Amino acid sequence: MKYLIRLFWLIAGCTFLFPLYWMFSMSFKTKSEAYNNPFGIPQIWDWLNYSEALTKYPFFLYLKNSLIYTIGTIAITLVAGSMLAYCLSRMQWRWNAAALFYISLGLIVPIEVVVIPLFQLIKSLYIKDSYLGLILPYTGFSLAACVLMLYAFLRTLPKELEEAACIDGSNVYQAFIRIIFPIVMPALVTQSILIFMRIWNEFPLAFIIAGKDQFRPLTIGLLSFYINVGISDWGIIAASMVLSSLPTIIVYLIGNEKIEHALTAGAILK
Amino acid sequence: MNKYYSTNMSIFVFAAPALLLFTVFCVYPLLPQIWMSLHNHDGFRNLGFVGLDNYREMIANSSFWTAHKNTYLIVAISILLGLPLSMMLALYMDSQTPNLRRFFKSAAMFPAILSVTVVAQIWVAFYEPNWGLFNSLLKAVGLESWTKSWLTDQYTVMPSIGLTFLWQYIGLNAILLYTGIKTIPKQYYEAALIDGASFVKVSLRITIPLMQDVIKYVLILSMLGSMAFYSHVRIMTSGGPGDLSRTVVYQMYYIAFETSQFGKGTAIAVLFVLECLLISFLIQRFVARERLEF
Repeated sequence: MKYLIRLFWLIAGCTFLFPLYWMFSMSFKTKSEAYNNPFGIPQIWDWLNYSEALTKYPFFLYLKNSLIYTIGTIAITLVAGSMLAYCLSRMQWRWNAAALFYISLGLIVPIEVVVIPLFQLIKSLYIKDSYLGLILPYTGFSLAACVLMLYAFLRTLPKELEEAACIDGSNVYQAFIRIIFPIVMPALVTQSILIFMRIWNEFPLAFIIAGKDQFRPLTIGLLSFYINVGISDWGIIAASMVLSSLPTIIVYLIGNEKIEHALTAGAILK
Repeated sequence: MNKYYSTNMSIFVFAAPALLLFTVFCVYPLLPQIWMSLHNHDGFRNLGFVGLDNYREMIANSSFWTAHKNTYLIVAISILLGLPLSMMLALYMDSQTPNLRRFFKSAAMFPAILSVTVVAQIWVAFYEPNWGLFNSLLKAVGLESWTKSWLTDQYTVMPSIGLTFLWQYIGLNAILLYTGIKTIPKQYYEAALIDGASFVKVSLRITIPLMQDVIKYVLILSMLGSMAFYSHVRIMTSGGPGDLSRTVVYQMYYIAFETSQFGKGTAIAVLFVLECLLISFLIQRFVARERLEF
């Protein structure tokens, strides 16, 4: 019985990895081999798919766009979010509790339900064909989790932290940048990872807002590439999939401990 | 000291940017949604007030009910099938040696970090009728009559897409649940160990009840995630064959952006927000109501 259970989960573990293997092996197969031998190891390792994919598929454009969307969202969310969290946790403001409740509403609203009015809003702000058209809504939807996590973190710090800064004669902005920012760094790293995981692969909103090819992130660009190639040439499709997945796979291989830590920090907080 | 720092000016500077961004892009869009759903709107112009006609027409549309059936099928798959499997994987990971556990953790994470576009397209290849994985396997074991065109058959299309979704997030949920197991103090198990209770019994009586907070979190996460199920359908079938694999969010997108009926699209969205709120409320009310402190 014990061995049966182990066997079951080992097979399950392998099925988690099988599509990854399939994608890599397929990307090295010629067109005829893709049909005759769709699941085996390639008989001839052929790099042609990659060179063809790189000429037809504007990988670096989409990669650049994905980087801009993700980094832009992370930067704005962390700066605005940590400032609000600092204000709510350590300043004396009459509306602290109300503002905290208000921002936590953001955890309940799924981005998909406001896609239509968001689309209208972005059109009327004239930011539809620009990077801000996605960065700003992404930021709006990332703030709630960021503020709540940083708020919980800042609450645990001793009140005396700013005293030294105050005695030195620095004002609140200097104190925030020199003292608070370095201390909350670990929480900011965790938040960056969580935002990266969500925004890098975000599909539903980007599909609507990033209409022009020039502004498409990888997830959307890849879908339009499938449609252009048609479903006959799986070697090229697989090569474009591998290229598109490489950034996340590399990030995961470098930081998998940090990613797991971030995910669990998110789970325990709520 | 903090009083010294809390001038009106500094509070404004610190609080305004985030509150403004949050209000404009997250909260504000909810309001025109209701207004728009009462008007005939084509995306560019408002063509007049129509009262509740949009709602009436959308509810009378049979695609609306197909979409609901499909959405709740996905919800059922991910809650009734996905969560127990994730829980079992989490419990199994907990009982393993560190090396094996690391293998399971990394393997289970991989599907979740890949883009939905990549995952869905890989599964399109697996479901391919002529050389796809499932039909090849069926042919190999002599069940030729069971082979199907999985994604264009009206009975298999939704379960097939659901399986892809299940596969992508079982591992991630298992890792989240596993961290819940890790937070339980070891002394809770000592009594059970002395009694010689079995692994299954310990899991059901001690582990699962003590990690209800994390279970609730994962439950809400998968519930809302599967309610808003859209991307996989868009990539794998575009709602086809016909309207048979549309989900509620897909139907909303279709009505608004493909038939330019923004008023009717928002009517679906408003109803859908109410459904999501009701379900969140029910979970909050009936699942794990007391917070546990160790």
